[in-house]
Amino acid sequence: MEFSAAEWSAIHNSLRVGLFVVLASLPLGLCLGYVLARYRFPGKWLVEVGVNLALVVPPVVTGYLLLQVFKPAAPVGGFLSRTLGLGVAFEFPGLVVAAAVMSFPLMVRAIRLGFQSVDPNLETAARTLGAGWWRTFFTVSLPLARNGVVAGCVLAFARSLGEFGATVMLASQREGNRTIPLLIYTLKDRPDGLASIWPLVAVSLLLAAGALAASEYLERRGLRHESA
Amino acid sequence: MSRLDFNCRHRFRSGFEIDLAFEATGLVTALFGPSGSGKTSVLGMIAGWLPPRFGRIRLGSRWLDDSPAGIHLPTEHRQVGMVFQDHWLFPHMSVEANLGYGQRRRGSGPPIRLDRVVEVLELEQLLSRYPGSLSGGERQRVALGRALLSNPELLLMDEPLAALDEALKLRVLAYLERVVTEWNVPTLFVSHGQAEVRRFAQQVVVMERGRAVAEGSPEEALGQPTPLGWTRSAGPVNLLRIDEAKLRGDQWVGRLGGQEMKLPSLNGAISQPLFVQFRPSDVTLSLEDVQGLSTRNHVRGVVSRMLELAGGFFVAVDVGQILWAEVTPAAVRDLGLQPGSKVTCLIKTRSLEWVG
Repeated sequence: MEFSAAEWSAIHNSLRVGLFVVLASLPLGLCLGYVLARYRFPGKWLVEVGVNLALVVPPVVTGYLLLQVFKPAAPVGGFLSRTLGLGVAFEFPGLVVAAAVMSFPLMVRAIRLGFQSVDPNLETAARTLGAGWWRTFFTVSLPLARNGVVAGCVLAFARSLGEFGATVMLASQREGNRTIPLLIYTLKDRPDGLASIWPLVAVSLLLAAGALAASEYLERRGLRHESA
Repeated sequence: MSRLDFNCRHRFRSGFEIDLAFEATGLVTALFGPSGSGKTSVLGMIAGWLPPRFGRIRLGSRWLDDSPAGIHLPTEHRQVGMVFQDHWLFPHMSVEANLGYGQRRRGSGPPIRLDRVVEVLELEQLLSRYPGSLSGGERQRVALGRALLSNPELLLMDEPLAALDEALKLRVLAYLERVVTEWNVPTLFVSHGQAEVRRFAQQVVVMERGRAVAEGSPEEALGQPTPLGWTRSAGPVNLLRIDEAKLRGDQWVGRLGGQEMKLPSLNGAISQPLFVQFRPSDVTLSLEDVQGLSTRNHVRGVVSRMLELAGGFFVAVDVGQILWAEVTPAAVRDLGLQPGSKVTCLIKTRSLEWVG
C-alpha cells in the first residue's frame, strides 16, 4: 500500500490531533469528572448541560460558533494571535480545538463513571491515615478510577480521529493542514477519487480498532488484582 | 485530664438530631446502642468528616473541633485511626502497601513498629497478598494493623466485628485485646453486642436516638433499665470472668470472685482470664442453698436491681460481678424478691459456654 505525501500528512495530522486533544483535555476532564462524581452543588445541572451540549448540537453549528470565537477578527482569536502568536482558525490548533470540544463530553462521561465506581469510604480511610486531599486523589481515587480514565482517553482519541463537522468549519482547505476525514472528503469529488480513498479508509479502521484493543488490554490488566 | 472530651449537637436534614456529651477516661470506651441511634455519626464527628453544627471535641490537649472558635481540624491532621465495619482496605495495593500507607513517626511515645504489628496480628503470611484474596477475619486484622501504624492518639472502631461470624468474632476480639494491652492505644468502639462491650470496655456510653441514656462502667451502664436495644434482643447476656481455671481430677473448676465454679471442659491452650457466657433464662434463683441437686453451680449473691421487661423480670444478682437471672412475675412475688434479698443462683454446667 503506497501513500502519497498528502495522505501521509493527513494520517500524521490525525494522530497528532488525537494526541493533543487527549493531553489538552485530560486535566480539565479529570477535574470535571471528579467534581461531577463526588460533589453536589447549586448549578450542577448547568455544568452538566454545558459539558454535554456538544453531543446534541449539530457539529457544524458548534464549528460555526467556534469560528466566531476564534477567527482573527474576534476578540478571543485576536488576543491569542497578538499575545501568543497562536492562530487557531484555519491553522493546526483549530483542528485540535474543534476535536477537543466535540470529544470532551465523551471523555468526561467515562471519567465520571470511573470515579463513581470508587467507594468514597476508601477516600475517607486514606484521610484517617493522614493523607491530604492531593495524596488521596493520586494514590487512591485516580488509580481505582483508571479504567474509566483510560476509557475516556481512548474515546476522546478515537472521536478526534473521526471529527469532521466542526473541524470543516474551522479548518482551511490548505494542503498539509488536513486530517484523514477532511482528505477523504476532498478526494471524493476528484476523478477516480472514490477508488483512491480506500487506503485511508483502511487506516481509519485500523486506528479505531487498535485504540479499542489497547483500552481493552489495559482494562483487563488492571482488573487482575482486584477480582482475585 | 480525660483523653477525649466530646460535646456536640448536630441536626441532619432528615430531622434526626444528635445531642451528646461524654468524656472518655478509660483506655477502652464503648458506644453502645441499637442501630440508628447515631453511634457512627459520633465517630464521623471525631474523625472529622462530619463537621458538627455546634460542638467542641478535645483529644488529649488538642482541640479537634471548637465551633465557637471556628476550629475544625481536617481529618488527616487529627491523628485518629479508624477501623471500619467493612475494613476499607485499598484493593489495588498489597497488604504490605496497605499497612505502610499511613505509617507515621509523629506523636508522643515510641512509634508502633511494622515488624511488631506483623508479629502481634500474625500478618507475616499475608504481606504480599491483595485484599481481594483475604478472608473477612484477615481483612479486619490488616485494617487494624494499618490504623495502628499511623500512630493514632485515638483508635475508632465502627462495629469492627459486625461483618464476621460468631467464631471469627471471638478470634478477632482476642486480637483487639492483644493490641490494647500491647500498645495502650485509647480506643472508642461502636457496638451493639453486649458480650463484646462487657468483655472489652471499661466505660460504656449507651445511646438512644442521638442522646446518651446511660453512662458508666459496663455493669452500671448496661444494667440500667434504659437500653431499649434489649427489647429487640433477648435481654441482657451474662458474661462472667473466671480466674484460675484448672483441671481437678476430671472436672474443670475456676473461681468466680471468691466462689468456685464447675466448668465445662476446655481443650487447647488456655490464656487466663477466661470468660463464660450463658442466658439469664438458664439461671434458677433459690432463697436457700438446696442440696441434692444435679445442678452443680450454686453461686451466692445479693439482688442489686430488678427490671421488668416484656412480661418477665430480669434480676441482677451481685456475686462480685453482676449475674442476670430471668424469672416470672409470679416467682418474684412468691419468693418476695427485692433489692437486698440474699439468693443462690443455680446454673447447670452444661449451660455455660466458653468465650474466647
